[in-house]
Amino acid sequence: MKIDIQHIAKLSCLHLTDEQAEKFEKDMESIVTMVNCLPDVQDELTLDVENAMRLREDIAEEHKFKREEILSNAPQVQSGCLVVPKTVE
Amino acid sequence: MKLYEKTAAELSDMLRAKECSAVELCKDIIERTNAVEDKVGACVTRCEDALQKAEAVDKAFAEGKELHPLAGIPIGIKDNISTKGIRTTCASKMLENYVPPYNATVMNKVESANMIVTGKLNMDEFAMGSSTETSYIKKTHNPHNLDCVPGGSSGGSAACVAAGEAIVSLGSDTGGSIRQPSALCGTVGLKPTYGSVSRYGLVAFASSLDQIGPIGKSVKDVSMLYDLICGHDKMDATSAYREYPGTFVGLNNDVKGLCIGVPKEYFGEGIDSYVKESVFNAIKLLESNGAIVKEISLPSTEYAVNTYYIIASAEASSNLARFDGVKYGFRAKEYDGLIDMYQKTRSEGFGDEVKRRIMLGTFVLSSGFYDAYYKKAKLVQRKIAQEFSQAFKECDVIITPTYPTPAFKIGENIDDPLKMYSGDICTVTVNIAGLPAISVPCGKTESGLPLGMQMIGAKFAEQTILNTAYAYETLCGGFSCIPDTL
Amino acid sequence: MVVGLEVHAELNTKSKIYCSCRNAFGLEVNTQVCPVCMGMPGTLPTLNEKVVEYAVKMGHAMNCKINSVCKQDRKNYFYPDLPKAYQISQAEVPLCENGYLDVMVDGEEKRIGVTRIHIEEDAGKLLHDDAFAGSLVDLNRCGVPLIEIVSEPDIRSSAEAKAYLETIKSILQYINISDCKMQEGSIRCDVNVSVREKGSKEFGTRCEMKNVNSFSAAVRGIEYEFKRQIEVLEAGGTIMQETRRWDDAKGMSFTMRSKEDAQDYRYFPEPDLLTIVVDEKKIQELKEMIPELPNIKIRRYVKELGLSQVDATLIAEDMERSSLFDTCVEMGKCKPKSVSNWILADIAKFTNDTGKKISETPLTPQKLSDLIEQVEKGVISNSSAKKVFQIILSTGKAPLDIIKEEGMAQNSDMGFLENLAKEVLANNEKSVTDYKNGKTNALGYLVGQCMKASKGKANPGIVKEIVIKMLSE
Repeated sequence: MKIDIQHIAKLSCLHLTDEQAEKFEKDMESIVTMVNCLPDVQDELTLDVENAMRLREDIAEEHKFKREEILSNAPQVQSGCLVVPKTVE
Repeated sequence: MKLYEKTAAELSDMLRAKECSAVELCKDIIERTNAVEDKVGACVTRCEDALQKAEAVDKAFAEGKELHPLAGIPIGIKDNISTKGIRTTCASKMLENYVPPYNATVMNKVESANMIVTGKLNMDEFAMGSSTETSYIKKTHNPHNLDCVPGGSSGGSAACVAAGEAIVSLGSDTGGSIRQPSALCGTVGLKPTYGSVSRYGLVAFASSLDQIGPIGKSVKDVSMLYDLICGHDKMDATSAYREYPGTFVGLNNDVKGLCIGVPKEYFGEGIDSYVKESVFNAIKLLESNGAIVKEISLPSTEYAVNTYYIIASAEASSNLARFDGVKYGFRAKEYDGLIDMYQKTRSEGFGDEVKRRIMLGTFVLSSGFYDAYYKKAKLVQRKIAQEFSQAFKECDVIITPTYPTPAFKIGENIDDPLKMYSGDICTVTVNIAGLPAISVPCGKTESGLPLGMQMIGAKFAEQTILNTAYAYETLCGGFSCIPDTL
Repeated sequence: MVVGLEVHAELNTKSKIYCSCRNAFGLEVNTQVCPVCMGMPGTLPTLNEKVVEYAVKMGHAMNCKINSVCKQDRKNYFYPDLPKAYQISQAEVPLCENGYLDVMVDGEEKRIGVTRIHIEEDAGKLLHDDAFAGSLVDLNRCGVPLIEIVSEPDIRSSAEAKAYLETIKSILQYINISDCKMQEGSIRCDVNVSVREKGSKEFGTRCEMKNVNSFSAAVRGIEYEFKRQIEVLEAGGTIMQETRRWDDAKGMSFTMRSKEDAQDYRYFPEPDLLTIVVDEKKIQELKEMIPELPNIKIRRYVKELGLSQVDATLIAEDMERSSLFDTCVEMGKCKPKSVSNWILADIAKFTNDTGKKISETPLTPQKLSDLIEQVEKGVISNSSAKKVFQIILSTGKAPLDIIKEEGMAQNSDMGFLENLAKEVLANNEKSVTDYKNGKTNALGYLVGQCMKASKGKANPGIVKEIVIKMLSE
């Protein structure tokens, strides 16, 4: 099976050098060939009604987390915000 | 016998009988860790405040306070379980300096029981691997043979118990990550039923398969720790809402009339003959003590590894997308614009195995391939689960090897992902079906490497497998998991 | 033209959709954030029960089939305002589907199909400052609950689009599930436009337009896109399937990405959440909670009560107005048209001028109804009624008491008025003669003299009738 490794890398937000791409392409092709072997199960997926989810009551908690705590691991912070490279021109 | 060699159950009694103090125990563990950690490499981060915590426990004992049976017992925590104020790296460059602002639910339970957290333990990067070799932080060595891997992904959790660096530990198991290192390090490891232990705070690998579970030297220890961490959690929508009566009080080593299913698919060509023989001997021992043994068939087992890698990688590709250098963790030093920042951060921050799985997951979910891979795998998953339910109508517990071989040499399999993946054959089915399973030591190779036996139960039948394991432990006169050679 | 709309409305629950952070607007950046909504490693979502209830209510209001068993899915894409790099949404099985909405356009009823309504989480906000080299991320809005309402491509004009959007907005307010504050972005929409030749059954290639932040922008955007596509086709070009970004300030749309660059969102079932199962009894209870909705009211006002579509819409789309109107009409003391006139003239002016709500004034349906009844009966004149209205607003007194206290009642006593007229006619013989000689404007003078003699209290209509009758004798 041929894999468009650069397309998959782009979707995964990964950058691969040509050398890495070659290696990963080989790895991926053999892995995909392996996992490709699955039987055809003539059935449709259904939702598990037995296992219904319990929902949360709509109660707002006063914020237990200070902004400093929430942002303490961020690589770059400015004026109480996370910073990213400009997203608009 | 040194304190670090004892079990949690023994130490719990000793603390109450004032035969030792929590501080003495903690000091013993620290000394032992100082002595062997350089050789074993189980720890990513050591907790400096352990002694203080132990002092507090002694004080509470002295004041006559009623404490949890595990109070004062040193515990190591896999480094993908969030610990407030203590860095939680997932053994990745991506999270090398990440300090969670909150505790995982299991950590709140560990703290409220006054257990002493001694350190955060090494693992495969983001729990992806079977040898702890994909860790960005360090290599962990098998205490029974330092040239060998401890297994993975909870390699640090099993190695630290086997090395006496903690009395018990917590690991996580997505496809065998508690049971396989337990088998390879000679410890007892329980992967609980999906939904019985809260995943809140466990850094997700594959959400529908991940479970936190205990590792210890004995079945009793694992049972006690399981009783502490299990239970419904409103922070985890997938946690099961039911009663958890406690397995420790129910422990029973009578196997008379117990029906053991032995699935032939788990004793095929790929399994080391020495492993097979040990497991069969163990089954015979149980049979000679009143258990009924029945050969059963789980025909879809041959598809389990494929199904597992598709589902686990799909979920992982989405779960690990949040590591983008914006909110926490690593960010590449130089980049040109947003997309370049994302790509460089992720390419530099993740190791190759993580990248492989992310890309496999992205591929199986991508437009045009979803039905052929992901959807098909989900259908096979249901079939595998149905075969197990069917099997549990005929038997109480299913016994298989935990891993096809004993511990392999460090570096032996790392460049061959397919070989590494195929080893998961005995353990992944349990995660796919959401079942509980325990791995217990069942003998050693001639060179002294431990071997493991897996006991699988029906959903929420933790008591049944713990009882079977306890019976086996009693019959073989207890396990000795700390090697004399270390 | 063929238009389909995707409307996103923020729900006014107390807490966010997947965590218990406060769902609030306009607070200091990154203060309504917890490890869950900022996507910290290891955190898990827990679904807010009110979000499900609100969406089911909207489903009922839009005549949808409610899927009592459904699930959530992950939509995967990278963007700094999306901390987990996936949005928890619904793909295959939405909570509500196959509905419709009847709206009034130019006096005609139009039915617009509703494909689906699903629940999902909002993203954070990006802030830009020219003085700063980067963009700033505020995560307060992350996890604010949204419903997405997807219409069928049934809309054929910008007027229909406008009516559809405004009806949705008023329904959201009626069932009180969204604040609908446009300036806060609590309702947004994406617009799909294609064109085809008149009579053609085939749809043309559609373009999706994003960043449409107000209803008027939607109208402008649709018209612009319609013209643009026609121009392309008339110049012999073809329409490319693409996503465009609407720039309302420039009044133009721009290509965002073409079909080839279409995002691959890799939807798959959210493994952190189990199946949503809504109790059938609960679904029925929620259905019973739905009041008569504005689009249904408009139809009733026009068809049964004889209001114009414009007036009916102005009343029905405002909950306070329609409630006042409906109660007054139910009391049956006065004509619906008179009530409508009062609501849209004097009351609207007062609420606009003062910024007060009707409910914040002493005006009640009883008082309004009594006041209008007195006018319709001829007890007070229109100009007196306006005075009474002001007094009600400032004192809260009952209209009948005010009329009495202020001596505003018009005299309608036939015997008294006949005597009065007889006297006036006797004192103005010249005018009587003029009238009889054909100078009809003498009538006005004579009626005026009667009014003057009564000190303005006589009912002018009746006086006029009496004078004409006497003159013709």
